Amino acid sequence: MSQLAIKSLTKSYGAFKVFDGLNLQADAGEIVVIFGGSGTGKTILLRLIAGVEEPTGGAIEIGGHDVSDIAPEHRGVGMAFQNFALFPHMNASENIATPLRAAGADESKVKAGVAKVAKLLKIDHVLNHAPRELSNGQKQRTALARALAAEPQILLLDDPLRNVDAKLRFEMRLELPRLLRQSGATVLYVTQDYKEAMALADRIAVLANGTFVQTASPEDIYMRPATLGVARLFGDPAINTADTMIETEGGAHVVLGGTRVPVAESYRGFAGREVILGVRPEAVELGSAGVEAEVIAVTPLNERTVLLLQNPNGWEFLASLPSSAASIPEAGTKVRASFAAAGTHIFDRQTGERLHG
Amino acid sequence: MDHSSSLEKILRSVAITLVLVFFLFPIAWIFLMSLQTNETILSIPPSLAFTPIIDNYTALITGQLRTAAGSLQLNFMQNMFNSVLLSVCSVALSLVLGVPAAYAFARFKFRLGEDIAFTLLSFRFAPALLVLLPLSLYFKTLGLTNTYIGLIWVYQLICLPLILWIVRGYFEDISPDIEHAYRIAGNSWWRTFTRISIPLAKPGIAAAGLLAFIFAWNNFVFALILASADKQPVTVGALAFVTASGIQYGQIAAAIIISITPTLALALYAQRYLVEGLSMGAVKG
Amino acid sequence: MAELNITRVDKIYHSRKGDVHAVKALDLAVKPGEIVALLGSSGCGKTSTLRMIAGFEEVSNGSITLGGKAIHTLPPAARGVAMAFEAYSLYPPLTIGENMSFALKSSRLPQAEQEKRVKDMAEMLEIADILNKYPSSVSGGQQQRASLGRALVRDAGLYLLDEPMGQLEPQLRAVLRGRIKHYLREHNCTTILVTHDQTEANALADRIAVMEGGILQQYATPAELKARPANLFTGTFIGEPPMNVFAADVSSAADRVSFTVEGGTTLSYPASDMSDALRQRLAQTPRISLGIRPHALHLGDGPVRGKVMACQWLGDQTHVAVDVAGRTVVSASQERVSRATGSDVSLNVAARDLHLFDHASGNAIAHGGTLA
Repeated sequence: MSQLAIKSLTKSYGAFKVFDGLNLQADAGEIVVIFGGSGTGKTILLRLIAGVEEPTGGAIEIGGHDVSDIAPEHRGVGMAFQNFALFPHMNASENIATPLRAAGADESKVKAGVAKVAKLLKIDHVLNHAPRELSNGQKQRTALARALAAEPQILLLDDPLRNVDAKLRFEMRLELPRLLRQSGATVLYVTQDYKEAMALADRIAVLANGTFVQTASPEDIYMRPATLGVARLFGDPAINTADTMIETEGGAHVVLGGTRVPVAESYRGFAGREVILGVRPEAVELGSAGVEAEVIAVTPLNERTVLLLQNPNGWEFLASLPSSAASIPEAGTKVRASFAAAGTHIFDRQTGERLHG
Repeated sequence: MDHSSSLEKILRSVAITLVLVFFLFPIAWIFLMSLQTNETILSIPPSLAFTPIIDNYTALITGQLRTAAGSLQLNFMQNMFNSVLLSVCSVALSLVLGVPAAYAFARFKFRLGEDIAFTLLSFRFAPALLVLLPLSLYFKTLGLTNTYIGLIWVYQLICLPLILWIVRGYFEDISPDIEHAYRIAGNSWWRTFTRISIPLAKPGIAAAGLLAFIFAWNNFVFALILASADKQPVTVGALAFVTASGIQYGQIAAAIIISITPTLALALYAQRYLVEGLSMGAVKG
Repeated sequence: MAELNITRVDKIYHSRKGDVHAVKALDLAVKPGEIVALLGSSGCGKTSTLRMIAGFEEVSNGSITLGGKAIHTLPPAARGVAMAFEAYSLYPPLTIGENMSFALKSSRLPQAEQEKRVKDMAEMLEIADILNKYPSSVSGGQQQRASLGRALVRDAGLYLLDEPMGQLEPQLRAVLRGRIKHYLREHNCTTILVTHDQTEANALADRIAVMEGGILQQYATPAELKARPANLFTGTFIGEPPMNVFAADVSSAADRVSFTVEGGTTLSYPASDMSDALRQRLAQTPRISLGIRPHALHLGDGPVRGKVMACQWLGDQTHVAVDVAGRTVVSASQERVSRATGSDVSLNVAARDLHLFDHASGNAIAHGGTLA
């Protein structure tokens, strides 16, 4: 039995439909990342589960029980907010103690509980500070500590790393999995950073247009995206796309910028279909054969180098090579590009769905 | 840009002094008047060289006013008591009614919500006389004329809109997430309201209460029409000095000084609070 | 197309609480056609520097010349500088297209040429379809592109770009970086880019000026910043994930040099991996700060042993956090790696990938076995 179940959940504001039948199951102790762009309703979903907002239709079940009629304070969830939402008139320790106090724990238990979670999050030295005296990183840890303090069954984390600087975000990303596993809670984690999603999730649920377009492991999402939309959301630089058509004369292939690019024979069944070819920049290989292109610009990106390439027919695409690669061509160089099968996907041009060859 | 020349500094000081003189002169003048007899006040040209007397103040406190035309009974101290009673009670009532209402207007979007809030504010726009005519008829019918309860009720026209609108802005500035966080932590709605929302809006509530108190204290026309001498506040009480034998400028000045002292003291004491409170509510973030 | 020289420039803000020295004795030379990034976190002085070049702030000391002509005393409009603002600053009553052509009105270009420029620029920045819309009705990303376009269509001696890509849609960012870099090169634009995002600086700039606390920390090419950071600040600031840094005790024998880091791990290398000069220096330096970039710390047989805390695959690289004697050490790989949480691993690093810093001052001692 799943710890958390969302069944045909709908939510509308007037005529505006945010969710149009959401379904999601999460097992005890599982980390599910809700991923989507801004305005897709990720935060609203967490609020519905927490009970501070009411759904228009459908059901939310926690531990097998419908919680529709249960007030937020009795649902047994913990939540951390993107803006931290610390109580400004209480110090860090009192903030963390609120869920314990509300549960009626006696003072010694409250103290022990706060001390335990503060140690875990390395904020024991700032417990007496008021929120305004805390750095952003400490605020964020305090907010997490407060959410974890009462050991809730369900933990809702609303983009908790959004408002901390890049370095802290990176450190927390490495630290969080262990912390969340220790808590044993079922975690719904909202983010719009795909790297965070891939790093933390057991499963990722990609939210777009009011539904979960794909709910799968990070590997499946990245290697086998269900739609072009999902493929474009994961990856930096984003996947290259080109409008083309599957042809079968002399082997299954597509034509890209005037050059035949072979595809798996199994796509033969889609002959004549108008498609979009998606190629991940790291799947682009430069060599002596393939699509003709000129290097327009060379832009280093961390340990990799991104090349902006342009085919004589006007198709523009990116290649991402390891910076340690033997030779990175300079701007103005003419090259030929081929595409590794693992990072190449074919999508239906009408529906955007990936075609399974 | 960053630097200002000494000439600029001098000009700035001069300008500030002029503004100060402009605003403080009337108060200073009234204070001087309160220490003089009617004769020295009315002498032309006015002179700053006079022997200060405290007779005006003693007359107000003892309630005995002796003039050339004879002795007159005053109940200025009763007026003072009335002012305190009316202002304190009406502000208290306004807070009890207004703060929860302000919260409702801030947090819940309900049908006609904006219209109701605006209607309440519009009582402040209307000339008092417009409201007074129907009110005095109601008061007669309901038997509220010349009662404290009636006056406190009418004073809600002054206090309630102020408190409602200022405090509403404050509640709107509190992130709903903070309230949600407290509820999810296991607290009921009422507890969240009393433990989170009210404490966080406290500066705004204090500023609004203070302002409402000053407005209530300064009100003149409601009490003039709806109450008689024994229930009237100081603002109306000062009229008693316009006697048959002439206008008692000295006593009026002394009465003014005594009556503005509480509000002035309060405003000065809470000045920083007041300015911070009022501007914080207005500016988001 | 002009050369920019900033010489001994200070910026001091006077306030009641005391003076704030925002920029300290800054020297910066930008060659004609060069793209330079001012990189640092907020409060490092980069924005003050930009505002002094543009003319929105006076210089407290020093001089700024553009094409050999002193400009720091001129009003902003007379400096021949084009700027894209972080807050976009588009004129609300004008359409996106009018905003972009507005800057060209005062030039003596023929009307047809003006129109063509705006059209080409709009196509490059993918805003051709919104030229007739007003700024308030388009997204933040589109406004930012329009603001960038308005600056770039002009002919100016110098282009100042203040956080020009922070709001861009992630899916467009990489392509636009490439196109903008190409455009700046083609038109030989001398450009100063102010950013807190090292990814942007690395992608676009020929040279990066790293600033912190009002002081220029290092001015070098992206590759050099990475390979030979001048001090610990630059070393840890540049590079993603950030460099691992350990305090280490040095012991030199005739044929080996060893570094013992906190927790007791010892990294030992043949003396031949280090230059003679470095060996001599290390003989007198018992304690150093040792920097190792995550991408240089490889999983496999090696002296650094610990337990895996987290192993995170991000699509094009894997980050492995390892608990080494209570400290978190990060190893990164371009391959897909999987290691179970809690499993034992060992890590190695080659001598050529070591960065040595003075323990007290943080100044670089050596990179890859040779003195800095």
